[in-house]
Amino acid sequence: MTRPRDCAVSGVSEGLAEHLGWSVAGVRWAFALSNLAGGAGILLYLWLWALTPLRTPEGRDSASAEAPVQRRVPVPTLLVDLAAALAVLSFVAILLTGSTSILALTVPLVIALALGSIAWSRYVDVPLDPEAIRTAFLQRVGVGCGLVVLAFLVALISLQPGAGWLWLLVVVTAASAAAVAIGPEALTLRRQTAARRTEQVRDEQRAEMAAHLHDSVLQTLALIQNRAGASSEVARIARAQERELRDWLYAGAQAVERDLAADLRDFAAALELDYPVRIEVVVVGETSELGTGEVAAAARESMLNAARHAGGDVSVYLESAARSVDVFVRDRGAGFALDDVPEDRLGVRESIMGRMRRAGGAARVRPGAGGIGTEVHLHLERSEDE
Amino acid sequence: MSDQHDSEISVVIVDDHSIFRSGLRADLDPDLRVLAEAADVDSAVEAIVAETPTVVLLDVHLPGGAGGGGAEVLRRTAGRCPSTRFLALSVSDSAEDVVGVIRGGARGYITKGSSGAEVSAAVRAVAGGDAVFSPRLAGFVLDAFGAAAGEQAEAVDELDRLSAREREVMRLIARGYAYKEVATELFISVKTVETHVSSVLRKLQLSSRHELTAWALERRLL
Repeated sequence: MTRPRDCAVSGVSEGLAEHLGWSVAGVRWAFALSNLAGGAGILLYLWLWALTPLRTPEGRDSASAEAPVQRRVPVPTLLVDLAAALAVLSFVAILLTGSTSILALTVPLVIALALGSIAWSRYVDVPLDPEAIRTAFLQRVGVGCGLVVLAFLVALISLQPGAGWLWLLVVVTAASAAAVAIGPEALTLRRQTAARRTEQVRDEQRAEMAAHLHDSVLQTLALIQNRAGASSEVARIARAQERELRDWLYAGAQAVERDLAADLRDFAAALELDYPVRIEVVVVGETSELGTGEVAAAARESMLNAARHAGGDVSVYLESAARSVDVFVRDRGAGFALDDVPEDRLGVRESIMGRMRRAGGAARVRPGAGGIGTEVHLHLERSEDE
Repeated sequence: MSDQHDSEISVVIVDDHSIFRSGLRADLDPDLRVLAEAADVDSAVEAIVAETPTVVLLDVHLPGGAGGGGAEVLRRTAGRCPSTRFLALSVSDSAEDVVGVIRGGARGYITKGSSGAEVSAAVRAVAGGDAVFSPRLAGFVLDAFGAAAGEQAEAVDELDRLSAREREVMRLIARGYAYKEVATELFISVKTVETHVSSVLRKLQLSSRHELTAWALERRLL
């Protein structure tokens, strides 16, 4: 037996009707009538409500809580209306009979209904869209004011001689009005404070751990690189470790957007593990370019060339301006002349120069300053529509 | 220790890790004389004031004192040994650390992963009155002064903007060029390059651009 997601109040009756093969109205009557036997109906109803699972939405493999439950009956409004009607009726009864004893039954009932309507829209059916939130808020204001009026009226009655215990009801009613007015805010505030405290503790722990690792592990890794020589394998591993640790310590857990800068940094880290090379990536300006573009591919190819053929120290400089992107990849290897490269070697000619040309940019390969090594310069103007 | 020769460069190493200190001491070129080592803020201030070395190799993160680390050493020795120059050493790439010590008066910044030869060269440059700019630091300067974004023209104060030449020099350094290579590339003398770099350092230290620190903090770029 399951409860449908499109239901009147809870889906219990509809679910049960479907399960037993009865009509929905029949099930509802059965529930209502069985209340005559000491309230068995309502207990059974609540028991079924608590234990019956919601129906799995079609087209999904698991019952996800995300699928909203559509209720045809506006329960909070119904409860409020009931409470109001009950209050009015009990005062009418007092005027007619002159006896105030009926208040002992109706006032707690009115309060229960009123609080129930507030609780419903806070815990059972939380309003999501702005319109519903506004309605729920207005309802809460209305309920609060209604309770104040009720307290006032009961207070007036309790001032009459012989009222006795009625002052107790005044107190309870006033307290409920106060609860309606500030209760939800107080609960939210408490929850937020708790969340903030958790967050703060977590941050402190992280900062403490970061400080400790900074003072111990990062220093050791720096020392290892320092002692092992810049391009040795040990130093490269230490450097990769340092980079990973640093990312974890300082970048935090938030996902980094895959822009060109992040892409080049990652690629540099990967190259350092595979080749005896130390790549420093310097980024200037906000990169809006994605790491998947032609510039990124050409830059990666240049970095790979530098790592494979030159090694040692390689500098990568990325500058993004409003209208253009420039990437410089500079190595200090033996260098080469483009004319010496055979026609069939596609690396430089196709993967770098051809690619940039097709993307509407330009690539230039030239000896580094002072004739040492090679420098590749990639340049791309952003198109107007971006 | 007042018997040092004029030509000799004396060094005080300030770092709280004894292994790192002894490693660095062994790696420095033999003509750089290490006068003293210090492991925390208070002993560093004491040693620097007593020895007045040419150059102090200053770790950014230091225990002791009021908890201000390297920047606090700079603050407390300011004015007491005017001939001493500071070179910041750090394993940290975090902008607040580096900006802190540079704005505190350090003449440059290098990472602890640098080899003994690199550190020695940097010490010599700083001793000679030059600024030591790593490519990272140059990139940071370009970014912080808005050179790439083209907001240069808006800054009115001379301290808040880089000249066209300074921008070119910074860009080349960020591309991994040594001073000599920058000089060749721009057809100027090495001395001129050094002048430009020193002037940029001065601007970095004195500029009141509030964006500077805020920017650095926000990006953790250095």
